[in-house]
Amino acid sequence: MSSTSVYPTPINAFKQSKRSVLSVIVDNEPGILARIVGLFSGRGYNIEALNVTVVNVKKNISRITIETLGEEKVISQIIAQLEKLVPVHSATNLANLSESYEAEICLVKIEFENEEQDQKILNFADIYRSRTVQKRQNIVVYEISGTSERINKFLDDLDTIGGIKVELVRSGPIGLGI
Amino acid sequence: MSNENEFTGADILLKALKDQEVDTIFGYPGGAVLPIYDAIFGQNFLKHVLVRQEAGAVHAAEGYARSSGKVGVLLVTSGPGVTNVVTGLTDALMDSIPIVCISGQVPSHLIGTDAFQECDTTGITRPCTKHNYLVKDVSKLSETIHEAFKIASSGRPGPVLIDIPKDVQFAKSKYISKKDISFREHRIKAGSKNVDKNFVEELVIHIKKSDRPIFYVGGGCLNSGHQASQELIKLVNKTNIPITTTLHGLGCFPGEDKNSLGMLGMHGNYEANLAMNKCDLMINVGARFDDRVTGRLDAFSPDSIKFHIDIDQSSINKNVKVNFHTNTDITLTLKEINSFIDSNNIDFGDKDYSNWWGQINEWRKKECLHYEQGDEVIKPQHAISRLYELTKQKDTFVTTEVGQHQMWAAQYYKFSKPNRWITSGGLGTMGFGMPAAVGAQMANPDSLVIDIAGEASFLMNIQEIATAVQYKLPIKIFILNNEYMGMVRQWQELLHGSRYSESYVDALPDFKKLAESFNAVGVRAKNISELDDTINEMISIDRPVIADIWVDKKENCFPMIPSGAAHHEMLLSKYDKENPENQEKGKVLV
Ligand SMILES: Cc1ncc(C[n+]2csc(CCOP(=O)(O)OP(=O)(O)O)c2C)c(N)n1
Ligand SMILES: [Mg+2]
Repeated sequence: MSSTSVYPTPINAFKQSKRSVLSVIVDNEPGILARIVGLFSGRGYNIEALNVTVVNVKKNISRITIETLGEEKVISQIIAQLEKLVPVHSATNLANLSESYEAEICLVKIEFENEEQDQKILNFADIYRSRTVQKRQNIVVYEISGTSERINKFLDDLDTIGGIKVELVRSGPIGLGI
Repeated sequence: MSNENEFTGADILLKALKDQEVDTIFGYPGGAVLPIYDAIFGQNFLKHVLVRQEAGAVHAAEGYARSSGKVGVLLVTSGPGVTNVVTGLTDALMDSIPIVCISGQVPSHLIGTDAFQECDTTGITRPCTKHNYLVKDVSKLSETIHEAFKIASSGRPGPVLIDIPKDVQFAKSKYISKKDISFREHRIKAGSKNVDKNFVEELVIHIKKSDRPIFYVGGGCLNSGHQASQELIKLVNKTNIPITTTLHGLGCFPGEDKNSLGMLGMHGNYEANLAMNKCDLMINVGARFDDRVTGRLDAFSPDSIKFHIDIDQSSINKNVKVNFHTNTDITLTLKEINSFIDSNNIDFGDKDYSNWWGQINEWRKKECLHYEQGDEVIKPQHAISRLYELTKQKDTFVTTEVGQHQMWAAQYYKFSKPNRWITSGGLGTMGFGMPAAVGAQMANPDSLVIDIAGEASFLMNIQEIATAVQYKLPIKIFILNNEYMGMVRQWQELLHGSRYSESYVDALPDFKKLAESFNAVGVRAKNISELDDTINEMISIDRPVIADIWVDKKENCFPMIPSGAAHHEMLLSKYDKENPENQEKGKVLV
């Protein structure tokens, strides 16, 4: 997600900003996402990526993963504010856990014009072990997963191939403490 | 024929209110709440107070809650009814006041169609409530109401709103009583019930070690209940530590006690601010390091070890980093500190902090609240001092509006008990005090309730005088009439070259005649010779009274820490000049 915007970014959030991934367990009820997003926008925090899905249908619980930028003090304040929301069970900064695992999934559609490009694409796809979802004539769709960093690298590498058209979607990172 | 154990949503609401021991509700009717009003018509446990504008209902509920320690309740209709309470909800959120607002909504099938008087109530009020609900299913109504009361009053209290579509008010379901509901703990956020023994021990050790300790007490102490203030008094008496309170902390500790340094902050006492600046140990009891209190952050109490007791985790380390903190209730924590001291026979007799008190007494000699009362024009400070002297023997509650008069009230009216002082601190809402007085008088029918007002603020919710008259609430509106938005004028004088842009309050009504036209009583003091008689007359009348006190129009409120300045840079009088560098920086702050 791009961090350039026509809107000014609050200065304090960018002082020694660090990327953090927050994992928030919530009651899946109407308005919960609005509460969380409103908390971030209202208090001038950043949301770099966001993922929300029900994880326990019986108990009606969702897990929300938020990637954010901010200095440590700001992140602790975000956590404290999140934990004040009534439907929130817990909010955790994955970085504060002794061990955690992070992953993201990305779908990339690539349109190419010639054999040479096709070869290069294939090569990168192979290196990054991405799965072919669909391939026809001059279009190929890959599914790649792993850390956000790994996906970034894959996309950077694709970028070095001139003349191809790339369209993509990313889930944003999700993570679990282990 | 439906089951006789089933009730309409409107009846369920009333049953739940009864179950919650609510006996007073402030409200204003409209299409989307008519079924509820119909249910109110046929019962007699609940007294409905018809306000004259919904803003009045929400501030009255706040005044009721603050003065009684109970949850304040209000009822408003959809659309404009609910948008009128947005200010009050925000006010209650900022000042941690437990209120429950019931709002009507258009029928479920019309939601989202831009129906008449529809608005996105939960959307609009989400950032200004502790929590809110849209109840779409009548079978969830009982549980929702009970949870709302629990949330409003638990942990750090605050406003909760329940939006009920009209069809849900008609629909039928079983009623579930309060005792049959089991709350889900994670939703209540009540704070820890276990006292942090380590915190307590560290605190006592640090008190023993320190040379310049101070208690810094805020509204959290008030919200923890009367016992918190009893424990605080015990602890201060044991240790002889000086104590300063925030605007909301006034009354948690007797203002006339020898250990009280009075209020701190922007218009706080010189000795309180200097002591905060120079202390080596700060014990924060339920205060939130608000910018009105800290002044310039990088110069805030630079040499102290800081302890913080606050039920709200997000108040810890938000503005000021502290060394030790606990999230347990203040009463429990203070109690434990006292019993730790007692059971370990810790004696503070040798530690009377005599050097520290010596220093503080030097600062006190500045007499920062001194003013010169001449023999003609009433000084506003003097008006409050006289009001205090003439009412202090009575059982008095004071509310205020916002401005200079509010700060003078905080400085010159002394409170000896909690919950007697009801003011809008965090949001600074003009128009708060009069409806808040209505609420406080409803909760305390036999007490003297005074709204210390400015003429500009009073005009913002003046319609509520009719409410006071209708319900025979003998509230007193004590207007320090300076014909200016005095606080605005003061800032313009200090920061904007005395260019008094739009701060003169022209075309004022004749407050005496105005009172009479409402069937209230108007009294007036034009000069010093009339002041005491006017106050005494006001107190003696058992009806709503508007007292129009003409005060010096150009008086400023001192001491003052200008925005952006530090505690030790306070101005004591108009002859003190501000550091020009601070002035430029301070101008952009509020
Ligand atoms: C609703 C609202 N609007 C604007 C302000 C900004 N404001 C703060 S004090 C003040 C002037 C208050 O005048 P008055 O009630 O006469 O009190 P005084 O300062 O003269 O004692 C204003 C406009 C506010 N606090 N609340
Ligand atoms: Mg005025």
